[in-house]
Amino acid sequence: MKQFEFFGKQVSRRQLLTGTAALGSVLVAGGLTGCGGNAQASGLRDIGFWHLLSGGDGIKMQAMITSANQANPGFKVHPTVLAWGPPYYTKLAMASAGGRPPEVAIMHASRVPGYAPGGLIDPWDLDLLAEHGVTGDNFAPRIWEKSQQNGKVFSIALDSHPFVMFYNTDIASKAGVLGSNGQLQEVTSPQAFMAMAREMQKVTQAHGLSFGYLGSGSQMWRLFYTLYKQHGADMELIPGQPMKVDRDAAIESLEFMASLFDDTVAAKAGDISTGIAEFARGDSGMLFSGVWELPTLKKAGLPVDAATIPTLYGTPASYADSHSFVLPRQLNVDDAKRRDVYKFVSDVLKGSISWAEAGHIPAYQPVVQSQAYRDLTPQIHYANAADIIAYDPEAWFSGSGSDWQTYFAENVQNVFLGRDKAAAGWDAFERRTNTLLSRPNPV
Amino acid sequence: MSSSLASRRSTGQPDIATATPPQPTRRPSQSRTRSNLSGWGFATPFLVFFLVFLVWPILYGIYMSLTGKSLTGANDSLIGFANYAEALADADMWRSLGNTFYFTVISTVPLVLVALVMAALLNVGLPAQWLWRLSYFAPYLLASTVVSLFFTWMYNPQLGLINDSLSKIGLPKVAWLNDPNVAMWAIVIATLWWTVGFNFLLYLAAMQNIPVQHYEAASLDGAGAWRQFFSITLPQLTPTTVMIVLLQILASMKIFDQVYQMTAGGPGGSTRPVVQYIFETGFTGYRLGYSAAISYIFFGLIVLVSVMQFAVTRRRSA
Repeated sequence: MKQFEFFGKQVSRRQLLTGTAALGSVLVAGGLTGCGGNAQASGLRDIGFWHLLSGGDGIKMQAMITSANQANPGFKVHPTVLAWGPPYYTKLAMASAGGRPPEVAIMHASRVPGYAPGGLIDPWDLDLLAEHGVTGDNFAPRIWEKSQQNGKVFSIALDSHPFVMFYNTDIASKAGVLGSNGQLQEVTSPQAFMAMAREMQKVTQAHGLSFGYLGSGSQMWRLFYTLYKQHGADMELIPGQPMKVDRDAAIESLEFMASLFDDTVAAKAGDISTGIAEFARGDSGMLFSGVWELPTLKKAGLPVDAATIPTLYGTPASYADSHSFVLPRQLNVDDAKRRDVYKFVSDVLKGSISWAEAGHIPAYQPVVQSQAYRDLTPQIHYANAADIIAYDPEAWFSGSGSDWQTYFAENVQNVFLGRDKAAAGWDAFERRTNTLLSRPNPV
Repeated sequence: MSSSLASRRSTGQPDIATATPPQPTRRPSQSRTRSNLSGWGFATPFLVFFLVFLVWPILYGIYMSLTGKSLTGANDSLIGFANYAEALADADMWRSLGNTFYFTVISTVPLVLVALVMAALLNVGLPAQWLWRLSYFAPYLLASTVVSLFFTWMYNPQLGLINDSLSKIGLPKVAWLNDPNVAMWAIVIATLWWTVGFNFLLYLAAMQNIPVQHYEAASLDGAGAWRQFFSITLPQLTPTTVMIVLLQILASMKIFDQVYQMTAGGPGGSTRPVVQYIFETGFTGYRLGYSAAISYIFFGLIVLVSVMQFAVTRRRSA
């Protein structure tokens, strides 16, 4: 009990003071060694950078960061890689809401409408960007337009990464579906596409097309939205109003997708990794997937070429998104660091030929127009996708890796598995979306 | 002192009185104050944690559930019980609650029965007891991520060990994590393998505490092994069973990790537990106030289940 009596005694108070002083010195020492003290001592400013690129493109991103760091002795960019999807976007939103996020981050352009109105990200200063030689003219109009919210530029696109069709040229050649230019013949109707896939199936004896979708809302949505937009239809999500959609086009797209999974054209039930593995083994002639899969397919040693998804319903369209740089809202903005961010982003944009090697279409037009990019195959064969890309309809809840895509899967997966009618699946998804639209907007 | 102690003992005064020597210079109330102060001193660290990390969040959570608070900081004005009204009319909340209760029911029964059988098998006196105990309990030490990854591979429809084994003996392949009718059972199997060791250990300890004389007496009366198990072992284990069932129901109702990692709530939302729905509405859907309201509805249901269980147990033991 005695040890608690020191509150009123001289000696113990001294002990207490000594203890406090010791604790204080530990904290001070910690403050000097932590929080970038080392970097400040050498004159380097530390720039935090969060991104979600963890595959082959993650390695490319690291290389671009390293070369930007080497070119700029004033700062050092420290990347933090977080898991794609809800983990990334949840952490970014929370860090920004708390005012202590990284100086710069990558977001999908389709997720910006969920961040910009709530003030979680800051707009870019175009004059400052122009000082580093980057202006709006350097971007394709469709991509530059997507960078803006209420007249302000909130994201600077690094690329566009559409959903495309890879194909095995050996199998296509044996199936007799290659054109005189060595590329896949153009097909313009669902029936013609099915016929082409069946020809390929005769060669592989397994499937004509690989498309893994089980358990992946984003994968189902990418193909669905491509086909839907090929109908020339629009989709609008306005809070407080029911979803504006062309129901017939939606149902027709779902029915076509369901008809693919007949165990001849494509596997009845396969997930993404199984689909990619099947194509890489040569058990199918075509693969519907994102451009980011290119490094994996090249590594597999496949005779692979690529094209945009065939236009089956009249209007060329391709689901896509863009990896874009954003400025998460800081409680206290360090002007020197923010200027460094502009320099870093402009350096990465100018060096994005390296990014194109990972399969993405660079957003920065001088790179796209360069000879080095024209020499990249099969990238150049789908470069036209940048002109026909369709971003997700805008809403606070839509976009890449969002719960909305999960809700899509919840309602239509049974359609693809043949357990539910396309109309029933679509109507259930529309009801789910209308519920979201009827609820209070949290951003 | 020792003589006074002896005399106090002989007069029947409690020993505790001897611990405080007489202090004629101080009044008793002053001493009690000092003693109280010391007590508070000891309790303060706990109290601070209790207030900061339990009481305050609970109160703040209730307040939050009455607001339209968003993760982005927008709109944190009071909106009364609107969130609760919305939640009660939310089909997805009811569905996820239903999934949670379904999982609780279909997981608790095997988790208790299998643990009992495992403990009973071991209690008959197999050799190398340590090896059995270790192999039954070891999975419990693994992290949920490891278990989920392990079972996700085992359940892979094309490449997994389980389907491979099934096809070798001529059975059809099963879409373990992709069939809405099967996915929850697949998660129960993984959970059973992972956590049954804890219940097993509790049962084994309780079994080994049953006096051996009971069995000796029963043997003399001619009772066989089955009769002994049902008439001695099971009744003697009743308090342990009650505790295991209670702990298991509470643990199963909190299901989240393995579902999130193995199916992310799919296919078609058929395995999404309410805890995941709370996480989704709050963190990926930004609606913290609404998410808090669902949390408190779930909390109320857990309290209700616990009270009902307590009432049933008390009636049985009375």
